[in-house]
Amino acid sequence: MSLQSCYIALEGNYDDVIGRLRTERLVRKFVLKFLDDPSYSNLCASLEAKDYDEAFRASHTIKGVCQNLSFTRLYQSSHQLTEALRNGWSPEVEELFSQVSADYQQTADAIRALQAEGA
Amino acid sequence: MSENKGYKPSILITDDSEMNREILTDMLEDEYTIMEAEDGVQAIAILEEHAEEISLVLLDIVMPNMDGFGVLKIMNQRNWIEHVPVIMISSESSASHIERAYALGITDFISRPFDAVIVHRRVVNTILLYAKQKKLIEMVEQQIYEKEKQSDMMINILSHIVEFRNGESSLHVLHIHTLTELLLQHLIHFTDRYPLTQSEINLISTASALHDIGKIGIPSEILNKPGRLTDEEFTIMKTHTTLGADMLSELPVYQDEPLVKMAHDICRWHHERYDGRGYPDRLEGDDIPIAAQIVALADVYDALTSERVYKKAFTHEVAVQMIMDGQCGTFNPLLLKCLAEAADVIQKEFQDSVPVYDNQKAMKNIVKEMLYK
Repeated sequence: MSLQSCYIALEGNYDDVIGRLRTERLVRKFVLKFLDDPSYSNLCASLEAKDYDEAFRASHTIKGVCQNLSFTRLYQSSHQLTEALRNGWSPEVEELFSQVSADYQQTADAIRALQAEGA
Repeated sequence: MSENKGYKPSILITDDSEMNREILTDMLEDEYTIMEAEDGVQAIAILEEHAEEISLVLLDIVMPNMDGFGVLKIMNQRNWIEHVPVIMISSESSASHIERAYALGITDFISRPFDAVIVHRRVVNTILLYAKQKKLIEMVEQQIYEKEKQSDMMINILSHIVEFRNGESSLHVLHIHTLTELLLQHLIHFTDRYPLTQSEINLISTASALHDIGKIGIPSEILNKPGRLTDEEFTIMKTHTTLGADMLSELPVYQDEPLVKMAHDICRWHHERYDGRGYPDRLEGDDIPIAAQIVALADVYDALTSERVYKKAFTHEVAVQMIMDGQCGTFNPLLLKCLAEAADVIQKEFQDSVPVYDNQKAMKNIVKEMLYK
């Protein structure tokens, strides 16, 4: 799978990211790094523990990373979750979190496919 | 900078996301030494140790333990923000966040997602700008210092001639200069009754060297008489105040120069007393210009702690006590408070036989005042 098809699979914007980060080397490096980022597991753990401050920060970080990498789909859902968590818990959190989970899985699957090819 | 090829300026990247730090590092590490902090607390710890070496801080807003605004607040409290530029990078792009960040002194705000070329360009520009500014400040300081040094030298030679004839220690003038400066720095710290700028403080300290020039007109038999002066001799001695002032007001040139006016006031009124019982004009309280009040106090302290033809030197502690007890005239209570507060520093400064008056430091204060007020 090429880097471009990976972006199609995770519903991101390849043209945008290559326009900003300039080289395919850099984009590939950080796309592969995405799987090591602990923010998603932090988000799950802090929501489980009802630590909404921490959950806000974790969600905020996911959003920031997705913005950097132009992972449009996951950016949108994590952005909504971040806003819902900004002032602590709110009723929409649960539904938005399941959306983030689904989008995260889709993103991670696409990257793993890219990884498998590179290996 | 460019002449030193091995030198790489340092950048502190503060972001809780490792990935964000890495993206920035990847873009900048060829030209800069990169330091990394995961949150505000770590950033402050690194700044504490390396504030002098860090050329730029890239700062995220939302972070655990201490956020970006917390970092900016501390950078303001410790005055680091004046020397270390900060570029904020955040996805918090609401106007209120950006406004608050600028109010706290950041140089630039970059919204996420950022463009690598833009970040790189802004980092380079900011670092160059600050390096140039720093160099300019140093040049201005050096220029002012050189200029002041010339006039300082002339004044010191002149006052040394006067002291030489008095048979007083030629250190007297240096002592008065140091004491005046120290007392004034304390004075502006705890009261705004005398709103003096750093350049006015420097002016007063410089002019203080001329306080006794009128003694050039006093017969040397009186000046150097070992015993007590008769009433008649004392009356003549007292005229050194008006003689000095008249010499200055009869100068054919520089009549309107602040230094000449200041020296005139100090010459004429450095023997007035706060209770109105001094000479030559029996001025009372704050009718006596603050410069003359300060020099009077410095003069008394130095006279007490120096050896003279008619007396031995008192120790620092005894001299301060005598002044506080009112044995050597009455002074403005605020000035006595200054003396009490500055006592330790004065003692330390005067332990070495030759107090080196740090003119360069005074110039730095003046330049700082010009820039930041």
